[in-house]
Amino acid sequence: MKKVRIALLVAAICQVPLVASAQGKGKAAAAAAPAEEEAEEPAEAEGTEGAAGDAEGEEGDEGEEGDEGEKPEGGDLGGICKVDPEACPKLDFDKEAARDIKEQVYAVQQVFVLRARRFELQPFWSLTLNDQFVSHPGPGLGLNYWITQVLAVGVNGTYYEPFNQDSEFNFQTRRAARIAVPLTEYQWGAALNFTYVPIAGKFAGFGDFIFQYDAYVVGGVGAISTRPIPTVDPDNRSFAFEPKLAFNAGLGLRIFFSRWFAATLEVRDYIFGDKIEATTVSNDPGLINNASTWYDDKSRLTNAVQAQLGISVFIPFSFDYRLPK
Amino acid sequence: MSMTSRILSGLRRGMCAGLVAVFALLALPEEAQAQEILLTGPLAGAPAVRKQKLYRKGRFEIAPMVSFTLLDEYQRQILIGGRLQYNIVDWLSIGVWGASGAVKITTALSEDIQKVNAVRRQFPNSDDARLTARNLGPDFTEQLGTIDWTLAPQLTVVPFRGKIALFQSIFADTDLYFFGGPAFVGVKERTNCGSGEQITSCEVPESFALKSRTAIAPTFGLGFTFFLNKFLTFGFEWRGLPFSRNTGGFDNHGGGPNNEFPDYKVNEQDREFKFNHMLSLSIGFNLPTNYKVSE
Repeated sequence: MKKVRIALLVAAICQVPLVASAQGKGKAAAAAAPAEEEAEEPAEAEGTEGAAGDAEGEEGDEGEEGDEGEKPEGGDLGGICKVDPEACPKLDFDKEAARDIKEQVYAVQQVFVLRARRFELQPFWSLTLNDQFVSHPGPGLGLNYWITQVLAVGVNGTYYEPFNQDSEFNFQTRRAARIAVPLTEYQWGAALNFTYVPIAGKFAGFGDFIFQYDAYVVGGVGAISTRPIPTVDPDNRSFAFEPKLAFNAGLGLRIFFSRWFAATLEVRDYIFGDKIEATTVSNDPGLINNASTWYDDKSRLTNAVQAQLGISVFIPFSFDYRLPK
Repeated sequence: MSMTSRILSGLRRGMCAGLVAVFALLALPEEAQAQEILLTGPLAGAPAVRKQKLYRKGRFEIAPMVSFTLLDEYQRQILIGGRLQYNIVDWLSIGVWGASGAVKITTALSEDIQKVNAVRRQFPNSDDARLTARNLGPDFTEQLGTIDWTLAPQLTVVPFRGKIALFQSIFADTDLYFFGGPAFVGVKERTNCGSGEQITSCEVPESFALKSRTAIAPTFGLGFTFFLNKFLTFGFEWRGLPFSRNTGGFDNHGGGPNNEFPDYKVNEQDREFKFNHMLSLSIGFNLPTNYKVSE
């Protein structure tokens, strides 16, 4: 019977380091939730919101059970020394307690979604924000590879050709003022991009449920294929699509519904030098059909600002946390 | 429970149910989420948010605001005004938005039209001058329709409340709100002219003068509020104010099949439907200066 008791006590002592290593592997520590809230929101200590309904809480729950088992053993070390002096811990607990703990505390701990080393597939629908003359909606697809948690490299493309819409306003202006506005339609666009996530946060909906979001900046370089819509001399002019070098920069918002699925809203400015239709027609009948006279001498710097509404699918769908909370 | 509380509670439950339905359609379930629902231990049944700072509940907000119109063909406007609202609870407010169209900036298209128009008017017998005589006055930029003022009582719902972390070091509480209501809009546009009108010819200079009217239109939108401290906020919102108006002062409709052709008159039939997008920035002052905290 005595041996059984000794064995139980030794086993209990062994439990102490086991609990600590569980924390290191991402399992939440005992009483993780309250400690985490304090660490996560140092500036809000005077009374603020604390998320208890998200994934962090789930892991904290496991830690809670470990805590309950830990306390009795910790308070019974004297008994161990009496029963088996050889098993008595040699540590100076006062000294250990006074030792500085160099624990790294993160401003935002254990983010809801780990992006590093995952692919992100981003189908979207693009809408024109700043072209009141011709709108250029169209479907698009993006593919990002997240090099780190906050930095991704990727490509995206948009197909515009069948969706360009020449506003009725253009016709009315031509009819009323006898002035033609040079118009452009797009065929496709493609770009290599870098994405950086400086902003992350979470929202509580009606105080009942929580969802995570992040905001990102994106920029890159690529090409956009465009051509003028003939309006000045449509009987004689016909333009072919030509790709142009295009830079882009934008801001986006990603709202997570799960750890691999999100809705995205992005506003991106595609900047390129566009060739526009000449607003004059040559008086020489021999030059009317000469394509070199159809374009304006100067190219026009165009800012095509587009809203891109879509979804994000992260692949692989699941991941393991590497760092503790 | 009072009648008001019951109505508010019902509204809140309805909106919650709607949002949950939308999210359920959009998001596929996954294993991790199922685990989250099956919480045990001290977090089981706990509210999603504890000790929430109730920045809005029972407070007045006075927010000077500047609004920029978008997608304008002939003239951009900057409206300066403000919003005054009372937050009945943290997620529902009533208030009023008012603004004056203080700054008007003509677009490059308007300036181009006027350049051509000025040349044409030197040759009044040319075809172009004759054909555009009833649409282009002495100065095209002076005949453009404008929004002079707006006044909109509105209801604001704040379904989402959260926080934002910038570079994992700067934090701000924030909320996302939706608003809507009727708007009274003071509009100036080209005066009526043509047969049967007080000015019978649309080619005389007097017909290019502007006349005021009040339009009633719906207004709605959404915005973000960033709480800078206990009583100061920064806001950013998008607003739609759709109604019909004649922005260029042209005779575009009223004749031919389906009134799709000019009728030598400028009147209500020449108004075009415009969505009138606006982006607004605001600084809000909340009174009383301190907020309540939830349990």
